[in-house]
Amino acid sequence: MARRYDSRTTIFSPEGRLYQVEYAMEAISHAGTALGILATDGIVIAAEKKVTSKLLEQTASSEKVYLLNDNVICGVAGMTADANILINYARQAAQQYLFTFNEEIPVEQLVQKLCDLKQGYTQYGGLRPFGVSFIYAGHDAHFGFQLYHSDPSGNYGGWKATCIGANNASAKSLLKQDYKDEITLKEAKELAVKVLSKTMDSTTLSSEKLEFATLNLNDEGKVLYHLYKPEEIDTLLKEHNLGGTNESEEK
Amino acid sequence: MSIMSYNGGALVAMVGKNCVAIASDKRLGVQLMTVSTEFPKMYQATEKSYVGFAGLATDSQTLSERLRFKINMYRLREEREIEPKTLSNMISSTLYEKRFGPYFVEPVVAGLNKKNEPFICVMDVIGCLNEADDFVVSGTSSQSLYGMCESLWEPDLEPEDLFETISQALLNSIDRDCLSGWGALVHIITPERVITRTLKGRQD
Repeated sequence: MARRYDSRTTIFSPEGRLYQVEYAMEAISHAGTALGILATDGIVIAAEKKVTSKLLEQTASSEKVYLLNDNVICGVAGMTADANILINYARQAAQQYLFTFNEEIPVEQLVQKLCDLKQGYTQYGGLRPFGVSFIYAGHDAHFGFQLYHSDPSGNYGGWKATCIGANNASAKSLLKQDYKDEITLKEAKELAVKVLSKTMDSTTLSSEKLEFATLNLNDEGKVLYHLYKPEEIDTLLKEHNLGGTNESEEK
Repeated sequence: MSIMSYNGGALVAMVGKNCVAIASDKRLGVQLMTVSTEFPKMYQATEKSYVGFAGLATDSQTLSERLRFKINMYRLREEREIEPKTLSNMISSTLYEKRFGPYFVEPVVAGLNKKNEPFICVMDVIGCLNEADDFVVSGTSSQSLYGMCESLWEPDLEPEDLFETISQALLNSIDRDCLSGWGALVHIITPERVITRTLKGRQD
């Protein structure tokens, strides 16, 4: 029944749905999990890498967490190739704002720019939507630390903690249980690895399968982005007794 | 009235032993009237490289902002800082894009590459690259600057000696130029840090 209304993005179904957009979200639900947690003094983004192989060059660029500008980072779930296009667009948009106003772009403005682009692909052009969802973590002078989530429809929302990709529903319910409003960055990091360990497909966590990043302010009030190296992820996992090497201890 | 001497300004860069120095005057004028005495023409491009623009002030500001855009995009994409030589080529391309309606600036680039080897160069308004291993000059006092640099410069000057040399070269050249002056700003780029000093010259 849906067959007649799902092959073009630019038409509604009789129930008022855009099937192509929903199919895009379906594609994302098979991708590696990415979650973000907002703390009082920073933000954590943790993600599960889907593509793991001993042959893969570990030192090459990240697959899940990217820098958008000095103040904003993002976590990706979905088709990496689509994500690369959008990330490049976001980076250009942020620099264009800096060029025009000589100020760093506020986080929500950047999210809106990307979402406006994604929305265009659901209304005209006849091109398929982007098969990517993002979690944006950023800081600006107006609203401090913020966490946003956007999906292929172009909708976005601000969150205290959220999750995208595979098993995001169970991750979200775990986050809802354990999240407290006054959570610190240290506690948020612990919560992130705990939730990931429970929702990931594999039995034990190791630094090969994880990408981990934090955003906080340094002593001079400048935004500091820290993408954890494999050794640092191992240390963090060991700290919370969640594995850390291939021949790891069980929880 | 030449567009290149509308605002006035002088720039010079020199190579030393494992260091480079770049210096400019601080005057901003509107033809004969001095409008600001705190207008250095140099901008920090990366941790170890500086760019200066002599010529029309508005183009100097706009180009520095455009360059910041491009340098940031480069850093995000390539996950490393841009090298001085690459930066110069980027500026050269940016200028040539406006071949038939150019930016009225003559940029000077000075920096240390990742192996801490010195690099300086100057360009004309449409991006002709001119790399040198001794010194480069630009601005309304360029003729005097050439003379001063040619006499004072010698190879392998240590950072403090390079500072003295570049300061004397600049100060004495801008004193002979009515459109440049009102003090000077000098940056010495060494592998460990950038030393910045302000010179008080003739305030006229």
